[in-house]
Amino acid sequence: MDFISILRFYFFYPSFFDIIIFPGLILFAVILLTAIWFERKAAARVQMRVGPYYASKRSGGFLQLVADALKFVFSEMIIPDQVNPTLFVLAPALLLMISILPFAVVPVSIIPKSGSIFSPYFHDFYDPNIGMGVLSGFFTQYNLVLVLALEAIYPIFIIFMGWVTNNRFAILGSVRETMLSVSYDVLIFMATVSLALEFHTLDIAQIVQRGIPGILANPFAALVFFIGMLIGSSRFPFDIVEAETELVVGPATEYSGFLFVITMAPAYIGNFIYSFIFVDLFLGGWLPFTGLPGAAYTALKAVIVLFFSVFMRSVYGRYRLDQALRGSWKYLFPLSLFALIFGMVVGFLWIA
Amino acid sequence: MDVEVVPVTGELNVGPQHPGSGHMRILVKLSGDIVDDVELDVGYVHRAVEKLGENRNYMHLIPLVERPAILDSVHMNMGYVMAVEKIINVDVPERALYLRSFAAEVNRIASHFYGIGILGIFLGHSTSFMWGFGDREIWVHILEALTGARVTNSYVIPGGVRRDISPSIIEMTKKAISYTRRKLNDWKKIFFNNPTIRARLENVGVMTKDQAIAWGAVGPNLRASGVYFDVRKAEPYAAYSKLDFDIPVYKEGDGYARSMVRLEEIEQSMRILEQIIKDIPQGPILSERFLKQIPPTRMKKWVEGQGRIVLPGYYASFRPPKGEATSRVEAGRGELMYYVMSDGSAKPYRLRMITPSYRLIYVFKNLCKGVRYADVVSIYGSLDYFPPEADR
Repeated sequence: MDFISILRFYFFYPSFFDIIIFPGLILFAVILLTAIWFERKAAARVQMRVGPYYASKRSGGFLQLVADALKFVFSEMIIPDQVNPTLFVLAPALLLMISILPFAVVPVSIIPKSGSIFSPYFHDFYDPNIGMGVLSGFFTQYNLVLVLALEAIYPIFIIFMGWVTNNRFAILGSVRETMLSVSYDVLIFMATVSLALEFHTLDIAQIVQRGIPGILANPFAALVFFIGMLIGSSRFPFDIVEAETELVVGPATEYSGFLFVITMAPAYIGNFIYSFIFVDLFLGGWLPFTGLPGAAYTALKAVIVLFFSVFMRSVYGRYRLDQALRGSWKYLFPLSLFALIFGMVVGFLWIA
Repeated sequence: MDVEVVPVTGELNVGPQHPGSGHMRILVKLSGDIVDDVELDVGYVHRAVEKLGENRNYMHLIPLVERPAILDSVHMNMGYVMAVEKIINVDVPERALYLRSFAAEVNRIASHFYGIGILGIFLGHSTSFMWGFGDREIWVHILEALTGARVTNSYVIPGGVRRDISPSIIEMTKKAISYTRRKLNDWKKIFFNNPTIRARLENVGVMTKDQAIAWGAVGPNLRASGVYFDVRKAEPYAAYSKLDFDIPVYKEGDGYARSMVRLEEIEQSMRILEQIIKDIPQGPILSERFLKQIPPTRMKKWVEGQGRIVLPGYYASFRPPKGEATSRVEAGRGELMYYVMSDGSAKPYRLRMITPSYRLIYVFKNLCKGVRYADVVSIYGSLDYFPPEADR
């Protein structure tokens, strides 16, 4: 093998390409900007405004976010007196890192034995359940469980961030996150478990390859998962942790400058990863494509789900903490139990 | 459903630099998520209007007294001028009374849209914030066309008003009424019937009828608690005795009732405006006593030509007779009372203004006891408390 083909081999190695290039970090950075831009622009359309405009008029103010980020980067990072500076700076970085971690095990496409750019890695990412390779950063047969486990770490670091900043608003925000995370994790867990029971597998790739979108097979689980996703990523109407008029910015209250930018990103990244899982489980994933087009198709659908969830801002207000908790435990949790039984019945009758 | 709350007490210092506090400091004593007590530290936008009132002559006070509530300035202005008129004993021509009611109702609509918008952003509903300020704008444009200023209009002067209405303003008002009627349907869809907004407002900050009277609530907040009281009906001023309108009253006394009262008052105000446009009599817009002091050339050019009053020399520093007067008007946020005392000099001996927001401080403090922390902003917004107005 010459140098170029070695380079090509490592460049397209799924653990690198999927995580870093597409649809990994680089796409995430672009989508982050686009999602915030879309959020502002769509809200502006609803609210009789223009929205971002002056930074690059030709693209409708798309570069406004870049300008904002640059401004933040060059503004002072204030570290409060009575905090541990190391932990204070570390907390947002850890949060960002943890928020992107679950993506490593989310399958975005499959690798056919030949014909795809990823075909050389067919055997390394071979999934015996479907007899194909799976395009994901790290393949296990139990990726559904692993994704949930990694997502469940995320709230701990939000609480850590609030605790480290030693601010009362931040601590109140952390307490709210603690209470909410218990409820939304249960919702997401129940929704995915009902899908797993329905499709008799813990492998996301196998659920997709079955060819039945989960939203048809189990619409209740889809609803529960979507609302759990909204709560989990602090989208309206569950923007309770960072409720601006109550808690300033919740756990991120003390952060300024570049650190503040870092604290803003994880919620969107979390939402985007949940969108990927939602697309895989409920919207048919990459089918009927394979390889790179399949990954692009999955990412496109995930972006649409993400855009839909950020659009909620222009329609809804914010629920109170106890209302969100009551809603999730009193109404959505029984619904998720029903989805579980529904999934078992349908899985027994239809998806053998 | 009862929720077991672990007793953790503490104090939260909300404001004055806080997105949800306005120009004041709210010391919230929390036990868990439940508010034990709030201490309202007001006075951050105190302008000493009452003290300044003793050092300026009567005309110069008009721009000052409307400064505390610039978004409700016609009412602030009118209440003061009505008290001064009682002291100098001047009759206001019919057309000027109608024009006062016209400006006041336009201002009331603008003020209520502002209040609903602020309530929206307090509940995280950014659309209603933008809509409130956007829909307010067309009414502010009418005020601008009529008085020459968006806010702080200084439109009402002793003896009449400063400018006459023109057919183009009437046309603007008709358009604004039909636009707002259409838009209020959208408002109901996105805000008043929005499940999140209803959940945040219904049964939150409930004020019973007795409490509302005992705590001295005024305006829409009083009427939302089932008390039928409106200064426009109880003690009609301007042209209100000749106009036909209803006073919306709700008996629930919660935040939702308070915002519904505001919504219906907007509808009633538009009804009043339509009647004014139809019924407004011809005639002078300033009392004959002052009108004849205007020099003939200026009279011809400005008053007859453009419908604008050129202030005659009398206003420069008139000395009213000794005496005192009170006046009451129904401002956007409730009953506004002025007390002016004259000792015969060019400046008032004492000026007292009791603004509606000032009376809401105690109501706000009482309503916050025992609610959840997130409800503090919900109550704040639904009361439509405006700190500069309270601080004066």
